[in-house]
Amino acid sequence: MMKSKKLVALVLATAMLAATALTGCGGSSEKDRSEDSANGNGNAVELSFWTLSTRQNAVEPIVEEFNSQNEDIEITVSYYDTDGMKDACKVAASSDTLPSMWFNWGGSLGGFYAENGLTYDLTDYAAENDWSNKFSAGALNLCTLSDQLAGYPTSYNVLDVYYRQDIFEQNGIAVPATFEEFESACVVLKEKGITPISTAGLNGWHVMRFVELLIEHYAGAELHDKLNTFEESWTNEAVVKAFEKYQEFCEKGYFPEGFITADPNDTRMATVSGTAAMDIQGQWYDGQILQDGADISQFSTFAFPSGGTDRLSAFAEMVQFNKNLSDEELAAGMKFLDFYYSDENVAQYAEYYNLPLPKTGAAMPEGQPNVEMMLETSNENGTFTITDQALPTEVADVLFSAQDALANGQMTPEEAAQSIQDAIEAYLNK
Amino acid sequence: MNKKKKIEFSAYAFLIPAGIIYLSVIIAPVFYSLYISLFKWNGIGDMQFTGLGNYVKLFTDDKIFAIAIKNNLIWIALTIIVTMSVSLALAVLLNNQFRGRTFFRGFFYFPCVIAPIAVAIIWRWIYNPNVGFINQFFKTIGIDYAQSWISDPKVSLFAIFAASLWQAVGQPMILFLAGLQSVSVDVLEAATIDGAGSVKKFLYVTVPLMKETFIIVIATLIVSAMKVFDVVQGLTAGGPANSTQMLSTYMYSQTFQYNNVGTGTAVACVMVLMMMLVIVPYVSFTAKEN
Repeated sequence: MMKSKKLVALVLATAMLAATALTGCGGSSEKDRSEDSANGNGNAVELSFWTLSTRQNAVEPIVEEFNSQNEDIEITVSYYDTDGMKDACKVAASSDTLPSMWFNWGGSLGGFYAENGLTYDLTDYAAENDWSNKFSAGALNLCTLSDQLAGYPTSYNVLDVYYRQDIFEQNGIAVPATFEEFESACVVLKEKGITPISTAGLNGWHVMRFVELLIEHYAGAELHDKLNTFEESWTNEAVVKAFEKYQEFCEKGYFPEGFITADPNDTRMATVSGTAAMDIQGQWYDGQILQDGADISQFSTFAFPSGGTDRLSAFAEMVQFNKNLSDEELAAGMKFLDFYYSDENVAQYAEYYNLPLPKTGAAMPEGQPNVEMMLETSNENGTFTITDQALPTEVADVLFSAQDALANGQMTPEEAAQSIQDAIEAYLNK
Repeated sequence: MNKKKKIEFSAYAFLIPAGIIYLSVIIAPVFYSLYISLFKWNGIGDMQFTGLGNYVKLFTDDKIFAIAIKNNLIWIALTIIVTMSVSLALAVLLNNQFRGRTFFRGFFYFPCVIAPIAVAIIWRWIYNPNVGFINQFFKTIGIDYAQSWISDPKVSLFAIFAASLWQAVGQPMILFLAGLQSVSVDVLEAATIDGAGSVKKFLYVTVPLMKETFIIVIATLIVSAMKVFDVVQGLTAGGPANSTQMLSTYMYSQTFQYNNVGTGTAVACVMVLMMMLVIVPYVSFTAKEN
């Protein structure tokens, strides 16, 4: 009896042990999944896709339709917010669990994956499939990182000053043509109890959009570009002056109360409700205004009068592919993206795309009047790379901290400039 | 009669699955992290051995790390003083017999089941300087006081703590409540007969009899204070200007945002060491007393 009990106990323990060991074998990387798929272990090519949650309303039905039309392909989507996407990809990169394809930005953000050999180099694919005639040269150029074509271009974005036309008219404010006129407009708005500029500093990048325009104003185009490529020191007078002006704007209350820790996704509340008059945004803002059900005719844009040609900041977005994809999986992914960015889907879910698409001869979106205007302005005025894509993340984060410290009076402009230069030197000496 | 106790090897076999899980998901990663912290590594490329370089840099040349340590220590102090006091007070109140007691127990425990990131979102709106509940409340009752709360580096850490407190009192409150209910009514009656008032009974009878509960509560509160992350990340992301940076948020940004995996894991190891320095002597001391 005793012996049989022991035997049962040992069998149970062995079973539990086996179960534990087998459970531990459950994880697999994209490479393993790719090999499984190539070996014919699955009926359909399975691809995972990570994208922004702001596009979920379009992505969900499109993926559903694509999967139903293509029985041999199964797309599974995960959604992240802006900063969640950046973090999730970094975590996945270091644990070799990147999805089959993922949304990303250009510059230093997408460049990390290309530099470290994690993305599929699409250079040959592009040549074979005539991408030079399919996509705009500018977009392909911005997606070329570390000498590789690091992604499928999905948008080319430019940022402008969105403003409430009705508020400007009611207060007798003309669209500012010079920086002095811009400051005067802020004075008038503040006197009327309207916050001149809606911004939000949680994560730093929204406030950065204004700070980089001030740097463009004081530094000029050439010096600004050299600052971003570290050819010039950030301790120079132009940066200090830009920070002084930003600090002055903070002290004068030209931004919403407590903006430093406000969520950048909420800046629209102030402009739509009319408590703020301006917001620095990209052309996707038209789509968001429409999603909110607000009156798009109240909004127009102007190029920030920074001087020179009044350049706009710009950045690209793309979908990057996992380096481990098989040819079959890559083809399936391309098929999906071509479907996602097809004219029919773009027309149906226009407000969830950053339009126009970066394709040759892409149509301008209907009912989004500012988009065409902004792109024309960017062509005429020229662009510079948005700062958080121009700088490495750890340097950009020091700029974000400096923005906070300047706003709270914890740093002088000189100290802020020095802190960024120190971060650059630390980065270069890593 | 003096039967030698037989070792049941089959019983030990049942420990193997749990042992494997514990070794693979707790012990091995801890030692691997310790190993990684001795390297300069971006998480993907080649690892470059730097010895204690990451630690030396953190302690000698990293202002943000110093802020993070200071903030964690403040958070621990606040947790021990405020969270424990509030949860104990609530437990004492809710241990009394009164109508609606069960409702109030649930009411005060309820925030505990909300995800910390949701707490951060809720409190971000409560603290909103323009439309937030607190400033609007002051305005409604005619008090001319407005505060930017989490945007002001002087108060932001305390504002985050207040948000966290709302959620954090539930768990220790339940533990205290269980501890209070384990105190023998006979002992309390004896103290009453001896002439002890309510305060004396509480301080000299109830509290000493709840010693084990206090050990558990203090130990868990210190651990949770050391690893606080979600609510800070959600409310301020360590800002403004790093004034609410915690070891956990700094570890996260170093590891997953800047790809300084060696530095990030060094921060994690410092966190573990700090926890062990506080918890191990505390628990062993109190255990010895028993």
